[in-house]
Amino acid sequence: MLRRLLSYSFAVVALGTLCGLPMTPLHAQRAKLPRTVAGKPDLNGIWQAMTTANYDIEPHDAKPAMALRPGPVVPIPAKEVLALGAVGAVPAGMGIVVGGEIPYLPAALAKRNENRENWLTRDPEVKCYLPGIPRATYMPFPFQILQSEKAVFISYEYASAVREVYLTNPGPPETDSWMGQSDGKWEGDTFVVTVTGFNDGTWFDRAGNHHSEALKVVERFTMIGPDHIKYQATMTDPQTFTRPWSIELMLYRHVEENARLGQFKCVPFVEELLYGRLRKTPIKP
Amino acid sequence: MNRTKTMMTRMAFVVAGITMMSATASAQGAKATAPKPRKAAWVVPRTPDGHPDFQGNWSNGTMTPLERPAGMGRALTPEQVVAMEKIRADTVEQLAKQSDPNRPAPPKGGDGSTGAAGNVGGYNYFWIDAGDHMATVNGERRSSIIVDPVNGRVPALTAAGRERAAERLRAYRKFGEYDNPENRPLAERCIMSFGSNAGPPMLPNYFYNNNYTFVQTKDHVMIMTEMVHDARTIHMRPVARLPKPIRPWMGDSHGRWEGDTLVVETTNFHPEQLFRGASDNLKVIERFHMVDANTILYRFTIDDLTTFTQKWSGELPFIKMNQLIYEYACHEGNYALSNILSGERAREREAAAKPPKP
Amino acid sequence: MKRSFLVAAVMVLAAAGPLLAHHAFGAEFDPNAPIRLQGKVVKLEWVNPHAWIHIEVVQKDGTKDVWMVEGGTPNTLLRRGLTRQSLAYGTELIVDGYQTKDHSLKRANGRDVTFTDGKKMFLGSSGTGAPRDGKDPTEPPVKKPQQ
Repeated sequence: MLRRLLSYSFAVVALGTLCGLPMTPLHAQRAKLPRTVAGKPDLNGIWQAMTTANYDIEPHDAKPAMALRPGPVVPIPAKEVLALGAVGAVPAGMGIVVGGEIPYLPAALAKRNENRENWLTRDPEVKCYLPGIPRATYMPFPFQILQSEKAVFISYEYASAVREVYLTNPGPPETDSWMGQSDGKWEGDTFVVTVTGFNDGTWFDRAGNHHSEALKVVERFTMIGPDHIKYQATMTDPQTFTRPWSIELMLYRHVEENARLGQFKCVPFVEELLYGRLRKTPIKP
Repeated sequence: MNRTKTMMTRMAFVVAGITMMSATASAQGAKATAPKPRKAAWVVPRTPDGHPDFQGNWSNGTMTPLERPAGMGRALTPEQVVAMEKIRADTVEQLAKQSDPNRPAPPKGGDGSTGAAGNVGGYNYFWIDAGDHMATVNGERRSSIIVDPVNGRVPALTAAGRERAAERLRAYRKFGEYDNPENRPLAERCIMSFGSNAGPPMLPNYFYNNNYTFVQTKDHVMIMTEMVHDARTIHMRPVARLPKPIRPWMGDSHGRWEGDTLVVETTNFHPEQLFRGASDNLKVIERFHMVDANTILYRFTIDDLTTFTQKWSGELPFIKMNQLIYEYACHEGNYALSNILSGERAREREAAAKPPKP
Repeated sequence: MKRSFLVAAVMVLAAAGPLLAHHAFGAEFDPNAPIRLQGKVVKLEWVNPHAWIHIEVVQKDGTKDVWMVEGGTPNTLLRRGLTRQSLAYGTELIVDGYQTKDHSLKRANGRDVTFTDGKKMFLGSSGTGAPRDGKDPTEPPVKKPQQ
């Protein structure tokens, strides 16, 4: 009896908690958002995703390394990454693709799998190449949004990548680029950025997920609290995918005192990898 | 032809500019009696928090060199300006001329070109966008960016500065120029633009893409240098300075407003980016002041008395650009660095294969 | 008097004057391997720091070689209203320059790149005439923002 009563009272408390949250009026939450003089949500700050999506944007289990080779019993780390031990292992992740799976065309899926097999030599991140969009958003580095009444500019720690989000559309992109051309506009409280003009050099993650030059990305930045942005992006690329598909993840503000963007200018860090064989005296392996 | 026309237009603009400036000067002299100007005077654009609004794209491309050539004054005469700008315009025009389609290959042994174009020539001038005008500051056409010391030259090094320079040279000479990627200049490695383009101090590279984007928020001023897409974020609110071991490219910049002038102090420079052989103590002070709708007067002071016998300063205008800045993804397409290194390796192999001279 | 300031002017230009290459061209290319190439554009790598023009050259024996010719930064051309599309694939070009020191690569600097009538590529074709650098506020913008 006592037990039943206890479990009953627990259920009441739990019910109260559950009902309590949605009962906070939505407009009251929205009113708490920091806003600019013009009344738009103020996205200024240093943001970072907390996800393992940069390993693989699709759901993935933990594994010993990104690069594997057959072992006598189970796959083992490839020799290039063996020395890293647990540091080189891959944590599991739920992924960020809405619906779980990227709708590849058959040939594009084959290319993805080939990319995955050749991760070490093909992943642009390994070579410190610019990350492209949306990958820049969920790499394991923070980025800074600089928003004024006239401009929105995003500065990424990884590779010192940057992009200006044009608030006045300058017309179709005149050239392909790694970071694309970003055109932004506000839809209510959501900042919507359409990115086009990509080259085909960037990936979505370390798992070989790729796209063509036809890629169009529509990003939606929606502040859901002073320190949280819901980030959604929809990818359209008829040369690679059977239909548009989306990702969704959360961005967290760096709230620590003296938070600032660091600098990860990795070009000098990969010179041995890219040019080591061309040294006068190449370093012995 | 168009080019000449453009030059003429520009020249007329410059002359008009000088005339206007002197008119302003005399107007100031006769302030009390001067009639009110008919045209509304230019008003500094301001951000919502009341500071001058520098936002947009700017260029500091100019023909004016950092240091003054011997025998020149600080201000150039109009004749000197016309002569110098004509030399540049003529060069551009000359290089744009048609070539003989039946021309043979260039001469064996090299074409005699010097500098980076070292004996093999560079490429057509249409790729180049160096400045084509001498810098104008306070109505003066300038022969050098440096204005203090008054001779327009980088001051002499201190004994410690000379010792450090000698040490650097010794370290440099340990290697051949093309032995390792690390022996190549930062621009060739796609780490920074050439010269001190991203700075600070932000100087023209005398070549191309001398362009910057400014964005101002409540807490930051961000300056992005087109080459190599380097964004420098200047802290406008008190934020702890970086601890000594952290030395990013372009240093650690903190700014404040002195009236309508943005003053920025930068320290913690990257060890490979110490301007003109400065020491780790290098501090660069920059001042940005908008003088009209199309001009920011940019001034800087190099403060490192452990290296230079005095503080020294320069100034040059940043001119508003009404064009876009494009991604300069340098590292991703850097064939040249591997060509340079592999070229040297090929040359070494050839030399080794040659039979020794009797 | 006149002469002395012209001398000074030349000195200023020498001090400020552009090198005609962004990096050590002298180290990349071989002064003893001059070349003259004539062929059709088969690919254009419109990338920074240097655009690379790929041209297909037909040898005397009928075999074809593809040469890569190094140019400058595309950004300056974009600002003058020229894009990758301004140079159609199949366009015939004449290039003179020097081959890379590493002769195993079929790469060269485009010391002079012209159309077959000798006009400078990108200057002769676009009809834009003088390059506009956008630094003169009196110039109309090449590209006007929409909206």
